[in-house]
Amino acid sequence: MALIDQHEATVLPPRRYRPRPPLFAYLASSPTLLMVVLVVGLPLVYSIWLVLHRANPITRKTTFAGLSNFRNIFKDPAFWEAFGRTLYFTGFALIGTTVIGMAIALVLNKAFFGRGFMRSVMLVPWAMAPVSVAVLWSFIYAGDVGTLNAALNDLGLGAWTQAWLGDGNRALNLVALTHVWNQAPLTALLLLAGLQSMPASLHKAAMLDGAGPVGRFFRITLPWLRPSLLFVCIIATINALMAFDIIWIMTRGGPGQATTVFAWLGYVYSFQFLRFGEGAAMLYVLTALSFACAIVFVLLLGPSRWRRRAQADTANAGAPNVAEAAVKARPVTLEPPKYKAPLLPRRARRLLAKALFRLAVLMIFLWSAVPVLMLLNMSLTPATDLIRTPASIIPSALTLDNFREVLFPDGGTTSTQSKRVPISLMNSFIVGTFTVLIAIALTPFAGYVFARWPRARSFQIGLWGILFTRMTPALTLVLPFFVIYRGLGIIDTRTGLVIAHLSILLPLIAWMMKSTFESVPQSLDRAAIVDGCSRFQMMIRVMIPVIRPGLVAAAIFGFLVSWNEFLFAMILTSTPDAQTIPVVLSGYLQQARFHEYGPMFAASVLSILPPVIIAFVFQRYLVQGALSGAVKG
Amino acid sequence: MSSINVENVRKDYGGVKALHSVSLDIKDGEFVSLLGPSGCGKSTLLYCVAGLEEISGGRVLFNGNDVADRGARERNIALVFQDYALYPHMSVRENIAFPLRRQKLDSALVTKQVNWAAELLGLTGLLDRSPSDLSGGQRQRVAVGRAIVRNPAALLMDEPLSNLDAGLRVHMRTEIKRLARELGLTVLFVTHDQEEAMVMSDRIAVLSNGHLQQFDDPMTVYRNPINRFVAEFIGSPKMNILPAPNGNAKIIIGARPHDMNLVKDGKANTDDFAVTGTLAMVEPAGHVYFLDVEVGGTLVKATTADIGWSAGRR
Repeated sequence: MALIDQHEATVLPPRRYRPRPPLFAYLASSPTLLMVVLVVGLPLVYSIWLVLHRANPITRKTTFAGLSNFRNIFKDPAFWEAFGRTLYFTGFALIGTTVIGMAIALVLNKAFFGRGFMRSVMLVPWAMAPVSVAVLWSFIYAGDVGTLNAALNDLGLGAWTQAWLGDGNRALNLVALTHVWNQAPLTALLLLAGLQSMPASLHKAAMLDGAGPVGRFFRITLPWLRPSLLFVCIIATINALMAFDIIWIMTRGGPGQATTVFAWLGYVYSFQFLRFGEGAAMLYVLTALSFACAIVFVLLLGPSRWRRRAQADTANAGAPNVAEAAVKARPVTLEPPKYKAPLLPRRARRLLAKALFRLAVLMIFLWSAVPVLMLLNMSLTPATDLIRTPASIIPSALTLDNFREVLFPDGGTTSTQSKRVPISLMNSFIVGTFTVLIAIALTPFAGYVFARWPRARSFQIGLWGILFTRMTPALTLVLPFFVIYRGLGIIDTRTGLVIAHLSILLPLIAWMMKSTFESVPQSLDRAAIVDGCSRFQMMIRVMIPVIRPGLVAAAIFGFLVSWNEFLFAMILTSTPDAQTIPVVLSGYLQQARFHEYGPMFAASVLSILPPVIIAFVFQRYLVQGALSGAVKG
Repeated sequence: MSSINVENVRKDYGGVKALHSVSLDIKDGEFVSLLGPSGCGKSTLLYCVAGLEEISGGRVLFNGNDVADRGARERNIALVFQDYALYPHMSVRENIAFPLRRQKLDSALVTKQVNWAAELLGLTGLLDRSPSDLSGGQRQRVAVGRAIVRNPAALLMDEPLSNLDAGLRVHMRTEIKRLARELGLTVLFVTHDQEEAMVMSDRIAVLSNGHLQQFDDPMTVYRNPINRFVAEFIGSPKMNILPAPNGNAKIIIGARPHDMNLVKDGKANTDDFAVTGTLAMVEPAGHVYFLDVEVGGTLVKATTADIGWSAGRR
């Protein structure tokens, strides 16, 4: 009998226990879930409706089209060309960010003087808005007066100057490289966190076991980083697939079609050809692609669930029983490994290693800081210097005129675009602050519930919904927002922008709150309740004070995301009343190509000021935010 | 196996001196414990011998050869870490085989050696498991297996037993001592547990604040401690330190609790040293009672096998 019972118990595992959450859990999470349904679900449903319909832009009639939008785009050769380019771009970005991010992480994981400073410097390219990144690099690569050409002139290599973005293939590569520059710090950050969780004894043990530096990297470090690498690959792939801002600023899909990837093609279909259905279809292909890539990575790098577990022999699990048997002699007496005297004495080897390490640190500094310093240099250069020929990177004088122009515009000489800068800075600040305040007020409650009852089915659905929104391109949501806003009359308002940004920040910050609460021991909840708190009081008096650092991190991180956001701000605003700084920056490129470089760079510097300050002063919070949310685009 | 000579080894971290000129001569096959409170430099000394830390001065010799020019990789040292440092992504088998594979040995030989080590440590049934599926004691044995599977010049152990529960710890120390003796291993064993050091070692090196205090066999260290630090550090409960009866401030008397016998009615032999005090507390410890006796404002520990008094009596 007992035998049969045991047998059955192994064949039928007990059902997974799903505790029923209390009413409090539903009450606490409902505001966030409701908001997410409103600001993400509704536009999403509308975009799904769009994909299934065909609209005639002239007669404004819509007819049900089924899946014909998908059939149409699949028949379009431009789609397949963009498909190839998207794959190339994504592959380039994935390999680039992983290799460079890994190198940065390995170097910055070692203790050396100035490491904290270097970590901040390393983060700057990622903390900057993609728009600012693209403005900077498009001028670096620009023909005639571009910084790269100017530098070549100064070095006497004038023969090498060219319009760097003029050639199709090169343009695609350079845009992808710019994306890598922007995104590699995120990879480095995530890998750095993985490296720091590695016990120091592991490498020491491997060293004593005779493994060299290269062997240790491949046999110890890489396997240890496997879970981090899985995550990094998924995030890097999604971010590369969705890359839009950089292309919008740098090449706008050109020259020709050379940099037309899916995200750009979807934008062109939707907002230039006004073929909303097909545009949405294109963007859903992007979503599908994100999922497919994520699944491939999970299969390649994920925990092997089917690994055969050796039969548990419980006889051995108890008290060790070695002492009973006599110790047997070694079957073979191993000779100790032959000691080969190294080529260089140990001291020389150590000096060489030190020198190489310093070189690596210097390289990271050059890679991360020099382009930003160039931007600062250009913003302090007299506007006329920037368009002189032959170009030179050395300014004839240093001036604050550019800043004066964008900060204190006067009636006569200042251009319309520069006059918009102060207002746009304020708009960015207001929108960021309000978005973050709303998100911070709502999400700790939902995050707490997600962390404490992860098994409850209703919350699992909520969590998956939040994850799904991460894989949906913002472009999919922006069109529904546009149409709904026009109906509600809140287009071109800061309120509208706050709501739109909430669609990004609510899922993000709710996720961050969930991971923060997961690190709070559950005994604290119990202590608070035993000590006489209601659930609500427990949240207010115990939980929120405990997670305050996490809350600050989420706020700082969320503000940065809102400050840097471009797509929603561009589509949903049209006048200076609501335009944010990235929109105004991009406006410079549209109106006057030549005369406004000075003020444009001054505005760029102002736009990267908050991110740079955050990277240096609040580095710890930024890193914590990135690690718990880890999903900024 | 080798002998290990540590000659005037110093170690500075910036301005902080972790080791002040420590010298030890460890014979081939000897079991030596490095004993001291945390922060005394015992682990630092171990890492210096292993080559994981650079020494700031002095020499380390294996079998009479200076190893200054060899990194940790080239010293053929095995180290068992406090947290075991098992490679989490490898099976027990691969963990144990790792050092042999680094030597590029023939795979049949590797299998043979791994099986031998596994059998020796009772790990044969666990070879295909992952370290995360093992109990603390099993992990510890895997770490020992990985250390002895090759023929290391010396086996270094950095508080290897401190993460085990009390019963297993007592069991493992016997086992390790046996293993070391039968395989003829030279062992350098770091611990802060004086009992562990006493039971296991041929000789104990007591360290404090980076200074070597005493290097002797366990009973010498116990019976003839060289200074007050050693006297107080070795033995549990701690030795009582009392002023000399003749009032000489330069002399203090150390008396181990179990040497303090209870004498009723104040009738002590006249040649014995005696103190009188109030019994403050009685702690039953099974085979004996510990007595806290208050003598002139200080507490004196004593033991007795039989007690007819309760606290509060003189």
